[in-house]
Amino acid sequence: MTATIQQQVFEIIAKQAKIEVATIRPESTLKDLGIASLEAIEMIFDIEEHFNINFPDQQGANFDTDTAQSLVDAVQKALADKTATDEGSK
Amino acid sequence: MPTVSTRRVVITGMGAISPLGVGAAALWQGLREGRSAIGPLRHVDADRLRVKVAAQVPESFDPAAHIDERTLPLLDRTSEFALHAAREAVAQSGVDFAANGLGARTAVIVGTGVGGETTQDEQSRRLYGENAQRAHPLTIVRLMTNASASQISIAWGLRGPAYAVASACASANHAIIQAAQMIRYGMADAAVTGGTEACLTYGALRAWEAMRVLADDTCRPFSANRRGLVLGEGAAIFVLESLEHAQARGATILAELAGTGMSADASDIVMPSAEGAASAMRQALDEAELNPADVDYINAHGTGTPANDVTETRAIRLAFGIHADRLAVSSTKSMHGHALGASGALELVAAIGALRDSVVPPTANLDVVDPACDLDYVPNVAREMPVRAVLSNSFAFGGLNAVLALKRAP
Repeated sequence: MTATIQQQVFEIIAKQAKIEVATIRPESTLKDLGIASLEAIEMIFDIEEHFNINFPDQQGANFDTDTAQSLVDAVQKALADKTATDEGSK
Repeated sequence: MPTVSTRRVVITGMGAISPLGVGAAALWQGLREGRSAIGPLRHVDADRLRVKVAAQVPESFDPAAHIDERTLPLLDRTSEFALHAAREAVAQSGVDFAANGLGARTAVIVGTGVGGETTQDEQSRRLYGENAQRAHPLTIVRLMTNASASQISIAWGLRGPAYAVASACASANHAIIQAAQMIRYGMADAAVTGGTEACLTYGALRAWEAMRVLADDTCRPFSANRRGLVLGEGAAIFVLESLEHAQARGATILAELAGTGMSADASDIVMPSAEGAASAMRQALDEAELNPADVDYINAHGTGTPANDVTETRAIRLAFGIHADRLAVSSTKSMHGHALGASGALELVAAIGALRDSVVPPTANLDVVDPACDLDYVPNVAREMPVRAVLSNSFAFGGLNAVLALKRAP
């Protein structure tokens, strides 16, 4: 499951950065991958659309976009929050 | 190069409608009191939106109370704001456009970032959301970007050059500069100019959310805990004249629009450049024949985004050298929000107020010092001090910079 999410996120990153998926390491920063600010926002949009999730608006402790792994973590957290909300009696 | 004779340009009237209320006086009074008009977003779709705060024109503003019933159906909210602000400005100036053929020698240049967004959004909702078969027949005349300029031209019989200027968040300053240059170089004797914006629609708010530059609490320019910009709306409109024209009719002069500067960064579509901004500030100083040490106050672009505030600080240092440490710099967007294409116009009201009252409006919500923002931002409380000359900065997405330099009335 985790590997699948990572794979999906890495594929979206690779598409945005126009690079091979295999070149992305968990510790790669967006800067390393040549992704500038506006491209990063577009990539975040692609990830949100793909997983049907909403990332927090503000970057910070709970939403770190520095590395590929931090994006994967953010997706996992957003998916977990979504499951919790769906199971709640809202 | 042949020398071109130029004329001095002065401001003789101003009007505004802003989140701080109806009228230029309400805006200036709120700013000098350090009162923020940022509050919870009022919107029919607020439940669905992630945007939580905005700086909106008070609900008590009733266009029908100010604009005649035959004109009202022709107007988008942007034009309602612009016409109302223009009426206040023309009344204050006391100018009679019908006398001595002045109407034919008066330009109307109005800046707006997106124009009739409310109209566009309403019609899109009808057509795509409700599968309506037809759009409202006045859709085009309401939404066209030049509608505000045209309505002002019609209202006062102003038959000189009239059009809209668009440069996103610098639209108002670019419009005011265009109008001033027309007077300076003799293409017009007077101008009605400024900026207007009303684009807090569902579609536009969604677009801003996606860009991830909006603060979720309030606007905190130059503060280390700043979280982005807060959208606003409103309009401010001014009457400009050549100095001779204003003096000949015995007008009360509010301030001299002494210099202007424009530049393009020609780099990134959103990330600002300190060099581009500094270049526009230097041009404005040069045209106004001001030395850096002659300027006491800068009304900053100061959006409260991480990128702007640090870059603008660096730009001010580039343009002002060691005098940067003696300047008062404030961002009134902390109080009236970011009215995009109208923001430079709202901020010109602040710049004129500072010159006339010798009071610098504060930067509200500045509570945590950012080492990368190391100028005197007049935090939270207005400051009484001599103000001899002022710069007002506007920098737009797209890397477009427009700066006004003002002096006290001659």
